[in-house]
Amino acid sequence: MYCINCGAKLESTEKICPLCDTKVHCPDVTETKEPLYPAGRIPKLKHRSNTFNGAVIIMFLIPVAVSFLADFHYDRNLSWFGYVLGALILGYITFALPLWFEKPNPVIFTPCAFAGVTVYLCYINFITSGDWFLTFAFPVTGGFCVISTAVVTLMRYLKKGKLYIWGGAFALTGAFVALIEFLISITFRISFTGWSLYPFAVLVLLGGLLFYLAINKSAREIMERKLFF
Amino acid sequence: MSKTEKLRWAKLDNAAKIYPAARRKNWSNVFRQSATLTDAVDKEVLSSALAVVVKRFPTIASRLRKGAFWYYLQEVESPPGIIDEYSYPLTFMSRKEMRKCAFRVIVYKNRIAVEFFHSLTDGTGALVFLKNLLAEYLEQKYNISVPLENGIVDRRQKPVDEETEDSFLKVAGEVSQSRKDSNAWRMSGEGEAQGFLNLTCFKLPVKDVIDKAHQYNTTLTVFLSAVMMKALLNLQKEKTPSLKKQKRIKLLIPVNLRNLYPSKTLRNFAMFTIPEIDPRLGEYTLEEIINVIYHKMGAEITQKHMSSVIAANVNDEKNLFLRVAPLPLKNLVMKTVFNSVGEKKSCLTLSNLGLVKFPEIMKKYITRMDFILGVQAAAPYNCGVVSFDDTVYVNFIRNICQPELERHFYYVLKETGIEATLESNRK
Repeated sequence: MYCINCGAKLESTEKICPLCDTKVHCPDVTETKEPLYPAGRIPKLKHRSNTFNGAVIIMFLIPVAVSFLADFHYDRNLSWFGYVLGALILGYITFALPLWFEKPNPVIFTPCAFAGVTVYLCYINFITSGDWFLTFAFPVTGGFCVISTAVVTLMRYLKKGKLYIWGGAFALTGAFVALIEFLISITFRISFTGWSLYPFAVLVLLGGLLFYLAINKSAREIMERKLFF
Repeated sequence: MSKTEKLRWAKLDNAAKIYPAARRKNWSNVFRQSATLTDAVDKEVLSSALAVVVKRFPTIASRLRKGAFWYYLQEVESPPGIIDEYSYPLTFMSRKEMRKCAFRVIVYKNRIAVEFFHSLTDGTGALVFLKNLLAEYLEQKYNISVPLENGIVDRRQKPVDEETEDSFLKVAGEVSQSRKDSNAWRMSGEGEAQGFLNLTCFKLPVKDVIDKAHQYNTTLTVFLSAVMMKALLNLQKEKTPSLKKQKRIKLLIPVNLRNLYPSKTLRNFAMFTIPEIDPRLGEYTLEEIINVIYHKMGAEITQKHMSSVIAANVNDEKNLFLRVAPLPLKNLVMKTVFNSVGEKKSCLTLSNLGLVKFPEIMKKYITRMDFILGVQAAAPYNCGVVSFDDTVYVNFIRNICQPELERHFYYVLKETGIEATLESNRK
């Protein structure tokens, strides 16, 4: 029999044309040959070993237990254990939590990691009775969160323009370093010395270089030729 | 000494070493050969036949084990159970499965299929295994006597040393060939869910294909390879109309080295040649593509050339630093090399097993043969070809939804005047 759409010659067992997906209709064919493969028998794929993820949890639990015992043993009271626990939970959220997912989406997990940092900062501020430097820590965390999430999102969803993305990321980070010095000078009451201009200049130059390579094809080819590995 | 320790073991051959390291989460290099019989398969008789055959071919009927420095093969203690067919061939073979047994015997209605992890053997070795399994099965089932010809051996005899040797080490030359090669165009598409693999079988009349190949003064393999390359050219042109942006079309054609060197090994003993077309140079006719492939094969499928290519691989294996490196480190290095180089040099593989012959007494029980390659790790297609009786079976395997290459292949074939009958495992 033949496909009515593309004209391909098909075996009598075919229900859909394998070339154009057209449903096969041939009332004359009465032959009941077996299909090439049985329908509906799909093996379940085991995507990730839970043993590995369990081992990672144990790796995190060991320092939790050790620091708890050490802190408690020292003065029969818990003083610094909360900081260690918070840091370990933060590390787990950032590096180990995505392992539980089949295809972890970095666009979701990157801001999640920064949200964890924010909660940890709030905890430190709470423990130190509001004596911690949130006017510095919050804007820095927020700034890095915006830059990282933007880079990760653009890299994931844009097929082209990687050099532009990284060029922009370098330039923005350079500008952000200058902002960090400004925040340090406000929060810690240190005079503005301008040290941030050095990383600013380097990062903006690097960003500019990447933009130049993105625009200039021949320069890009030279760099590819010289630096490939 | 325990029973397990008495089992025979073997080092992986030179070509086999890369495959365990190159495995991925949902991919391993597995291929399938199958025979369709006139009657429904009797699983009990097949199990009994398998028990005889696994003893005869200990390097094929093996499991993959880990040493401190290298993987090795150990013969299976008992034959694996017969598996029922899934909706697609070559389902993922996990590490756990390979540790138990690195091949499977699968039954569906009249069909007996064997799927092999590529470290065990190549297409030729696998065919000998399948032929002998069929011979033993038919003898037990129909009480016939199969003569020892066309690859059928005495299954009660002990394994022959020549069959288990690593022939690569014997034929490696003094001078190594450079592995530098350009990258090929990569096909892509929307991936199938749950690891489903689409199989499309083109059934072609042997006579028509051979007549057409002879019209072009060439062989069946070269003709089908040319049709495939033309289909790839047309597909790339459809996807990337700008000539300047098009990439090289390269086809990996495995070469059975047993035809070049006097070897009887049943382990891996194949190399490959990769003819290529640069579409930026202009439109290629089928005749021009045939010339490119023919001359490339003529230049490379020689003892001298192949020995120099093998030498490069054997030298790596003999490298002291690589040998003393622990297995996890070796795996890391080999996987990195495989991912960055191994599969980028061709669009897909077209492997022709050739015309399968059986003793006359067996032939009347067999109606069809198939040879199916697994998809590549990072490329969505592969193609296995085998001829039996009066039909050529061209099996396309694909892990993406769109059957674009098959469509172009069909039309190129049709333009030459050959009409294929299609069969698939469409959901």
